[in-house]
Amino acid sequence: MSSQLPNLHKELIRAFTSHPSDLAATGKLLARLKIVLIDTDLLFPQPSSNPKELVVARDILEIGAFWSIRTRDVPSFDRYFSQLQTFYNDFNSVLPPSEREYPIRGLNLIRLLIQNRIADFHTTLESLPLPADELLNNPFIKHPVNLERWLMEGSYSKVWNAREEAPAEEYKFFVDSLMGTIRNEIASCEEAAYESLPLKDAATLLFFKTQSELLAFAKQRDWQVNLTQETITFTHKSEEKMEIPKDKLIANNLAYARELEQIV
Amino acid sequence: MADVEMKPADEKVEEKQEGKEVPTSPPSPVAEIKSNITLIDRAVSTLEPRFTHRVLRTLTALRKRLNEQILRESISEVYPPDSSVKSSLLSLLPDADISETMDIDSTVPPAAKPPSDPVPEAEIYFRLLIIHHLLTSPSNYGKAQDLANSTVQKMQALNRRSLDPIAAKVWFAVERTYELAGELSDARPLYLAAQRTASLRHDDETQAALINRLLRSYLHYSLYDQADKLVSKTTFPASAPNPQYARYHYYLGRIKAVQLNYTEAHTHLQQAIRRAPAPKVAPGFYQAVHKLFVVVELLMGDIPERSLFRHPVLEKALSGYFDIVKAVRTGSLSNFQHTLSKHAAVFEADKTYSLIVRLRQNVIKTGIRRLSLSYSRISLRDICVKLHLDSEEDAEYIVGKAIRDGVIEGRIVHEKGWMECGGQKTGDGPEVGEMFARRIGYCLELHNESVKAMRYPLNAHRKELADAEGAREREKELAKEIQEGDLDDDDSGLGDF
Repeated sequence: MSSQLPNLHKELIRAFTSHPSDLAATGKLLARLKIVLIDTDLLFPQPSSNPKELVVARDILEIGAFWSIRTRDVPSFDRYFSQLQTFYNDFNSVLPPSEREYPIRGLNLIRLLIQNRIADFHTTLESLPLPADELLNNPFIKHPVNLERWLMEGSYSKVWNAREEAPAEEYKFFVDSLMGTIRNEIASCEEAAYESLPLKDAATLLFFKTQSELLAFAKQRDWQVNLTQETITFTHKSEEKMEIPKDKLIANNLAYARELEQIV
Repeated sequence: MADVEMKPADEKVEEKQEGKEVPTSPPSPVAEIKSNITLIDRAVSTLEPRFTHRVLRTLTALRKRLNEQILRESISEVYPPDSSVKSSLLSLLPDADISETMDIDSTVPPAAKPPSDPVPEAEIYFRLLIIHHLLTSPSNYGKAQDLANSTVQKMQALNRRSLDPIAAKVWFAVERTYELAGELSDARPLYLAAQRTASLRHDDETQAALINRLLRSYLHYSLYDQADKLVSKTTFPASAPNPQYARYHYYLGRIKAVQLNYTEAHTHLQQAIRRAPAPKVAPGFYQAVHKLFVVVELLMGDIPERSLFRHPVLEKALSGYFDIVKAVRTGSLSNFQHTLSKHAAVFEADKTYSLIVRLRQNVIKTGIRRLSLSYSRISLRDICVKLHLDSEEDAEYIVGKAIRDGVIEGRIVHEKGWMECGGQKTGDGPEVGEMFARRIGYCLELHNESVKAMRYPLNAHRKELADAEGAREREKELAKEIQEGDLDDDDSGLGDF
């Protein structure tokens, strides 16, 4: 079976690197290759495995990861990435470094960012095998790190402007969902910070090009649009009545009484 | 790099109670080892681990005074001359002048010869001392590692509960040997297996020591994911000694801080500080915890107390952090960036760099808050200039986010391009009650913990019972007398006696 591996691998590279790359063929080849990898025990590498074969296996998985992004299949990217982690973390002393390692790690970071898994984002960032000040010298890592910082600060226009500066082709696939994330963020900020906003300004703030897009978005978020005055009014939820948490107070007081009883 | 600075901490944590235990003029090391062996023996025979703890408390001080001569002498004195354990222990020591040892052999044993081999715990104790001694010189690291491994095997084969406290210390020594040999990650499978056994045997002390070893090993390689999973899958034994608890809380604090869970990180670090030994005794640990503590406090939006940075132990170690605090307090981004780059190497070494980078947004928030307090209306342009932001557009988004996050109260008036600041939130309502409840809860827990921690000498209550018995007897007599002698009084209540 292992004799199949080099041929299929070559075929995969050909299908993947052709312009435009043949996504359907790549997908089929990947499925077949995965079976071969399982047969040759390379999918879950053992310390006894041959390093050369491991490099091939890593290459296949990396292509798989890129392919998942191009076909917009994020769960599949997730799977490929977790398989690759073994190669990156545990075999980094045995294998030569891969040039695709950091692009893929960066993509994973962006994925976490878009899914709003900020805690995971930071955990992953900490476990990168790079010293902290070099993070910003690596273009693939710098991009997600900057995005996260701007998002946290609220410099949304910087995020918007950075969307075209992606260090690798695949990063652009995430742009759309990233924009969705930002718009929702901005919208929630606007709800809190403004009483009303002219339609034109709202469109620029939310990076909408046409008014119809904005109106659809406003409807989705339940904003009151006044078309004659061309303004959006935000309803405020802050004037809620404050309730006295009776149950909690009673429970607390009973607990104190019990504890005091024990002490005295 | 963090390890270098943790090392003194780890070593020092154990020193805690020493000040009280060691008399002002310590006995000679040989005598001390001998008395320790007697204590271990007593601990085993009376099933009272307290004595073993007392022995282990002197470990750190003793360790510094060890040399081959002392070890040889004490081993020869404790073991009978023809004991096989003795020869095996002696063979573990680095080769020295043999004639000298022969000398000791011939002179000492007849004087104080125990009838038979002491308990196996004593052997493990000697092995522990030998490992620590071997670790003092780099040329013996390999030997120490072999010995550590064989000691672990021996401990596991013996499987004695009275061995547990010593075993916990042996694991610490094992970690040191692996670390000094630069193979910290290789020891991990060993710990994991031992941890499983320890938890099955309810060997709390070893378990606590091992969980800390594992966490340290994970954090050393920045494997926060694994560390977090380990924490969620294990329960830290409640009866673990304080130094272990302090470390455990410190590691937890680090994990939580990385995961942006600052409130929990803060609680854990506070616990670590409270449980840690006195700052003078264990400066390394104290400093390491405080470094992280300061950063987490800043990330939570609080400013650490000024007095912290005047503490004699912390003043020097925290100087870089003090600069950061100042920058955050004034809310000046340029100042913050400048300080960050100036102390980058220090923060990198402390593994706090990435945490401090996250402070950037706090700096901005502080800046906005200060502006909102001092102005009732300010144009976005001015905010932009004052906070060194890149564009007015950015300023608008940032202010909007600050309002949404509840940092400030206010409104943006887009048409006029300014921000109107509302009044500050007043601190009342349920939050105050919650805060109060938390504090009361803490006090109550402290009380309960201290009640639990009290020790009662064995059988002491017997005496009290006897006293009570006597008292009751006397009372009865008294009652009788009253009844007999003082019949005029209508004391129906006493009649019951």
